[in-house]
Amino acid sequence: MDIKSTTPFSGLFRTSPFKPIQRHMRLVFSCICFIPPLLDALYRKDTEQLKEFGNEIIKLESEADEIKHIFRLNMPNTLLLPVDREDLLRLISDQDQLADIAEEIAKLLLYRDMEVPEVLKKLIDELLEGTMEISASAKDMIEQLDELLQVGFKGREQKKVEEMIAGVRKKEHNIDGIMHRTRRALYENESHLDPVSVIFWYQLIDRLGSISDQAENVADRLLLFLSK
Amino acid sequence: MDIIAAYGTVFIVLAIIFGLYMTWGIGANDLANAMGTSVGAGAVTIRQAICIAIIFEFAGAVLAGGHVTSTIRKGIIDPTAIVSSPEILVYGMLASLLAAAFWLMIASWKGWPVSTTHSIVGALIGFAIVGIGPDAVKWGKVGSVVASWLVSPAVGGTISFLLVISTRKLIFDTDNPLQNAKRYAPFYVFLVGFIISLVTLFKGLTHLNIDLSVGQSFGVAFLFGLLTAAIGWYFIRKIKADRDADRDFHFASVEKVFAPMMLFTACAMAFAHGSNDVANGIGPLAAVFSIVSSGGEVMQKSELPVWILLLGGGGIVLGLITLGYRVMLTVGRKITELTPSRGFCAELAAATTVVLASRTGLPVSTTHILVGSVLGVGLARGIGALDLRVVFNIIVSWLVTLPAGALMAMLFFFTLKGIFS
Repeated sequence: MDIKSTTPFSGLFRTSPFKPIQRHMRLVFSCICFIPPLLDALYRKDTEQLKEFGNEIIKLESEADEIKHIFRLNMPNTLLLPVDREDLLRLISDQDQLADIAEEIAKLLLYRDMEVPEVLKKLIDELLEGTMEISASAKDMIEQLDELLQVGFKGREQKKVEEMIAGVRKKEHNIDGIMHRTRRALYENESHLDPVSVIFWYQLIDRLGSISDQAENVADRLLLFLSK
Repeated sequence: MDIIAAYGTVFIVLAIIFGLYMTWGIGANDLANAMGTSVGAGAVTIRQAICIAIIFEFAGAVLAGGHVTSTIRKGIIDPTAIVSSPEILVYGMLASLLAAAFWLMIASWKGWPVSTTHSIVGALIGFAIVGIGPDAVKWGKVGSVVASWLVSPAVGGTISFLLVISTRKLIFDTDNPLQNAKRYAPFYVFLVGFIISLVTLFKGLTHLNIDLSVGQSFGVAFLFGLLTAAIGWYFIRKIKADRDADRDFHFASVEKVFAPMMLFTACAMAFAHGSNDVANGIGPLAAVFSIVSSGGEVMQKSELPVWILLLGGGGIVLGLITLGYRVMLTVGRKITELTPSRGFCAELAAATTVVLASRTGLPVSTTHILVGSVLGVGLARGIGALDLRVVFNIIVSWLVTLPAGALMAMLFFFTLKGIFS
């Protein structure tokens, strides 16, 4: 006779929602990590590599999408969670937005052969550096979720994550400054450049900037976990 | 009286077979939950879990199993109306055992979440209503038993909630969690030994002719706590910080301290389970034996023989080593989400609640109390995700099991009555 467990005990346990959130964030971060080499390939006019990196970003983005999808399927409203279910669902879509932006940048560079204006190179490098920093901080923040869970989102660990969140805010502020200078430089050189290219460069700069805005959104979402 | 004299041996043999079947079912199924937590957390291997279960299941049954057995045996039914025909009570007890065992078998086959405790209580009530009359059910006692089913998971949950909060204050949310874990761990292990032994010893061993005063009970329990604390200290003293694991998860080393501590809660759970659930199988058996051996005395004034408790413990162990270990593996695999520190809190809370209920003679469900304790950890924001549908399933299983057990007991009662008279 095959005996199944007639007791409800094991049915009580569901996989922790923080694991897929962290896995998702790691994928999103690797998406963003491909943006600097992507632009580097553009500088070097290496179309082969540009395609390779661009497609890698698109592939990673769809993997992240898959995790988001499975995560949502596994979040029935009968769950007892240490944080608000709505906040968790919004957190993963905020993270997903990051990957979406990276994908948009990759696609833009894939369908349009862009010429890089010399004046922008240094500023864009600066912008990329800031973007990588803020994305890494956002990822580190998400990596703290296990520890936060262990101490019930309180105490020392809470302070530590609050500081990390403040750090992300500050970085976003700095990037806003770089964004302004980059746009200004582009504006001052508009007359020497092809008008259509200028439009696309504005778009590209905006998208790079929105990565840091979105990273700040992720941080703000996490703040809600701490204030419950 | 003639029937008892003519078929006495048959009745006892039948009761032993049904009782063994029941305890076998309890061991194959129910025990897996009680110990699966420790197996799932990696604190004990399946082989160690079986060894622990054998020793502590027996200890729980023999040392503390008498109170609940007495409730099942003579606490729920008032047989004064049938003093002249004791065979009715024998049929009823056999029918109740058979009904509960049968219902358990159906539920196991279908995978329904039922509790043996609820099956046997439902069956006893069912038999008493048709066999003797509705007045024969001690409704007051039934009321307190049913109330304990609601209260006990809440008590377990409250204790585990407080334990989780205390581990955070004393260990996790400090500057040096590992050092504090090693400092306070023996104290937590002391609690396991102290509470379980105190509840058991406190005026609870009269059936073994051991009568301890209040002071003596406290003294022995204290010594027992110190002993477990010393063994606990021996296990954790060598644990060192694991830098690689800590990089990934800061509290990895601290959790390593809690892993051997779950060995003690595993013992406590097996003990608690033995002290409460063994009664479901042997309570009716004890009643039948008492009636037959006294030649038809339904009031059952005699003491509960220890061999019946041993038989019950044996049945549970048999169930565990034939089928239960596999269920335990399945359960353990599913509950890896429970880290050793939370598992320790949940098990200690559950074991304490069950032993307290056993001491009071209340038949409760170990599994439901464990569910309540885990929910307590969840309410302390200590677990990633718990599915509350389980709570709904438990309530449904109460509503279904009581009438199902009752109806089947009625059916078996009339069948047995037809066969023997």
